[in-house]
Amino acid sequence: MSPALQSYVATLLVYLAVNSIACWGLNLQFGVGGVMNFAFILYQSIGAYITAVLTLPRAAPGVPETYILGWHLPWPLPLAGAAVSGALLALAVGSFALRPRRRDFQATVMLVVSIIAATLVTSEQGWFNGGQGLFAIPQPFSGRLNLGISGYDWFFLGLVAVFAAVVLFFTDRLTGSPWGRRLRAMRDNAEAAESLGTGVRTESLKVYVIGGAIAAVSGGLLVEFIGAWSPAAWGTGETFIFFVAIIVGGLGNNFGAFFGALLVLGVFLELPTFLPTIGSSNTEESVQAAAIGVLILIFLWWRPQGVFPERKHALSRFMPAAAPEPAPGPSQPGTTLSVSDLSRDFGGVRAVDKVSFELLPGTATGLIGPNGAGKSTALKLIAGALKPAAGQVVVGAVNVAGWAPHKVSRLGVIRTFQHTSEFARLTVLENLLAAAPGQPGDSFGGSLLGRRHWRPRQRELLAQAAALLADFQLTELADEYAGRLSGGQRRLVEIMRALMAQPKILLLDEPMAGVNPTLRLTIEEHLRRLRDGGLTMLMVEHELSSVERVCDSVIVMAQGRVLATGTMAELRSNKEVVDAYLVG
Amino acid sequence: MSQIVLSLGFGLVTASILAMGAVGFTLQFGVTNLFNLAFGESMTVSAFAAYIAHNDLHSNMWLAMAAGGLAGMVLSLMISRLIYLPFLRRGTAQFAMVMVTVAVSIIGKNVLSAMSGSGFYSYQLPPERPVHVLGMVFSPRQLVIIGLAAASLLGLHALFRYSRLGKAMRATSDDAGLARSVGIPTTHLISAAWLLSGLLAGLAGVALAMDLGTFDFNMGGNFLLIIVAAAVFGSVGEPYGAIAGALVIGIASELAAIVNPELKNVVAFGILVLVLLLRPEGLISGRVQMRAEVAA
Repeated sequence: MSPALQSYVATLLVYLAVNSIACWGLNLQFGVGGVMNFAFILYQSIGAYITAVLTLPRAAPGVPETYILGWHLPWPLPLAGAAVSGALLALAVGSFALRPRRRDFQATVMLVVSIIAATLVTSEQGWFNGGQGLFAIPQPFSGRLNLGISGYDWFFLGLVAVFAAVVLFFTDRLTGSPWGRRLRAMRDNAEAAESLGTGVRTESLKVYVIGGAIAAVSGGLLVEFIGAWSPAAWGTGETFIFFVAIIVGGLGNNFGAFFGALLVLGVFLELPTFLPTIGSSNTEESVQAAAIGVLILIFLWWRPQGVFPERKHALSRFMPAAAPEPAPGPSQPGTTLSVSDLSRDFGGVRAVDKVSFELLPGTATGLIGPNGAGKSTALKLIAGALKPAAGQVVVGAVNVAGWAPHKVSRLGVIRTFQHTSEFARLTVLENLLAAAPGQPGDSFGGSLLGRRHWRPRQRELLAQAAALLADFQLTELADEYAGRLSGGQRRLVEIMRALMAQPKILLLDEPMAGVNPTLRLTIEEHLRRLRDGGLTMLMVEHELSSVERVCDSVIVMAQGRVLATGTMAELRSNKEVVDAYLVG
Repeated sequence: MSQIVLSLGFGLVTASILAMGAVGFTLQFGVTNLFNLAFGESMTVSAFAAYIAHNDLHSNMWLAMAAGGLAGMVLSLMISRLIYLPFLRRGTAQFAMVMVTVAVSIIGKNVLSAMSGSGFYSYQLPPERPVHVLGMVFSPRQLVIIGLAAASLLGLHALFRYSRLGKAMRATSDDAGLARSVGIPTTHLISAAWLLSGLLAGLAGVALAMDLGTFDFNMGGNFLLIIVAAAVFGSVGEPYGAIAGALVIGIASELAAIVNPELKNVVAFGILVLVLLLRPEGLISGRVQMRAEVAA
């Protein structure tokens, strides 16, 4: 190869490596964590700028180039600075942009952030030299190595390859860990993840910060190679090029992200230079950009999972063959739940009005009443999914009224949902594992420590899950995606998942809805056994025969108030109850 | 002081355009639950449609404005029928739908760019004598814009309040499932919402182009930023909230422009951040949350 061609090939490979790093960062945020970072390019950019101003010496007086810092630090300190700046920026932006619950809302706010930042950087001459940007940034070790131009390009490729390997190792380790599983669960169903102890806002922020740091490092490496950076390099459109890459490659799959980076580089950035020019260069750019839009539509329509879909985490082969333990009841006894004067209104309508009751361990209580009586609302108030206007919810001896749902659930108050809420792109087995507390690998730090740190606990949990699956006769489906199951099977998964969370108080919101009569009997038997094992249970249900077979006592609600309490037999003879509910 | 009053006038004009845009954006969101980031491109296309009507076909500006509104309606209905609805029927996830609207926005913007080139366009309207109102200075054209916004928003209010269509739309916005179950034909309603939203986008687009004097293919996309800020301010999906947001953000950004014109968008953004920190789901989030809870 001629030196020029060699240099060209090395340059392309450097771009590929840098883009791969960026794609892995975005994949961690969006593909794994579900956070739609529409400000992605901003993070790559701050990395580039900070690396530049940490590498450059202070701007000489009289030179028109102006910028902050100018610390002239030796390599690789500027890159470390880039990572820190990316993380800090993500922390600042995430603290407000991640506050709305809807992901599309968050994404739009981030898009706005990105546009505003570009305006500010362009107009503030003193930060990074405004619209002209920074240039003549020295390459690392340049001048000290005598390699020739193409030789230096290969050397730099080596450097970038090391960084890429480290980032790949790091992101793979996070994704494959119990914490990664928690993130994927949160991506699939944030509300359900929250009810099982995931602080969604905090975990989203963590993944946003890590991805921001990775993006910043990619930007730092890029600027070290090309030696210049200006607002023209980071229009908001660039963000969507990265999104195209990971959507086409396959969300949640690091190899897919690499493939996407390769494709984008080849098809969009290099191929056009070999094509005959059509129209002006402006037209050509527009056509190219429009093609990116078309590509997004094509993939979201025909192959939303991408060329290389997320790898299925088939863990059933690690389950012990025969259940070594007896069917797990609650591993710890239940606790008392006492609710007093609980109230909540919606725009003038009293949905729950001074509701009080006490539930004891080892009892199952039904909560019945006509539609709109406030049953589900009461359940949500207890679980923290809604904030009560007044009243107390005492779990054991702690008043949890007004707590966030994930904090309430950590005390052992676990609820199931009226509409099935499985983590669709996790397997059945993973759904169970994701709910279990006390997994040391279930945190950012813990996941970094690697398999050896969390495998022993995973083995225990696999044994528990195996026993549950055998008990509910779903062992065959352990490795099936939960989203592929029938409605009734998904109910069972949800109940098993709640049990894996080691509840002390189980709140069931219409567990029998959409379940066939045979399966209903199975669920009832399980619930009775759990009750006898000492669990505290509250069940909202319209299927009165099930309530009668499972519950010791029943609370009747109507129009937000408790109308009566007693056994089903007693309630049948209560005229008020019969009038309000049982008849009409 | 007079500077502030003067800016108040500019703010009123901006707020009028913004109100039409934000209400169009939020109305469509309320009925279809879709965060449409291609809304700005509908505005730009309409501005170009009015340009063709006025500069090439030599119609007067009123007709050109109507042409813009019509273009907005047609485009909005076409995009929803040909792209958004098929994706929604497939059960495409919420996050993926935003990507779909982004893709449409990218395609729209770049097709416009390829067709219009990088130059700026202007309606070439004759100069007018400014009008003084309470210390504020308007061109008659700006008064037309304010009047247009007031008329279209009052019309919308009457529609919501008194017509069957408007009531059904509010019901669908509150709870689509329930509305369907009581016999409201939601598909027609959704089309109506897209048409109305397109009309408002079209009018806002032409008004913005008139107010700015010159425009290019980026106009609507750039303006979407403060539309989103206004819509989020008043809780997305709430037309009256969006009007409040438009007033606050429109006037605040013009006041900030006294200090530095570059600050316009930054102030809009600052207000957006503040609202998100204080009330993550927007100003009148209580109602929205109630809906979500009652629906669940």
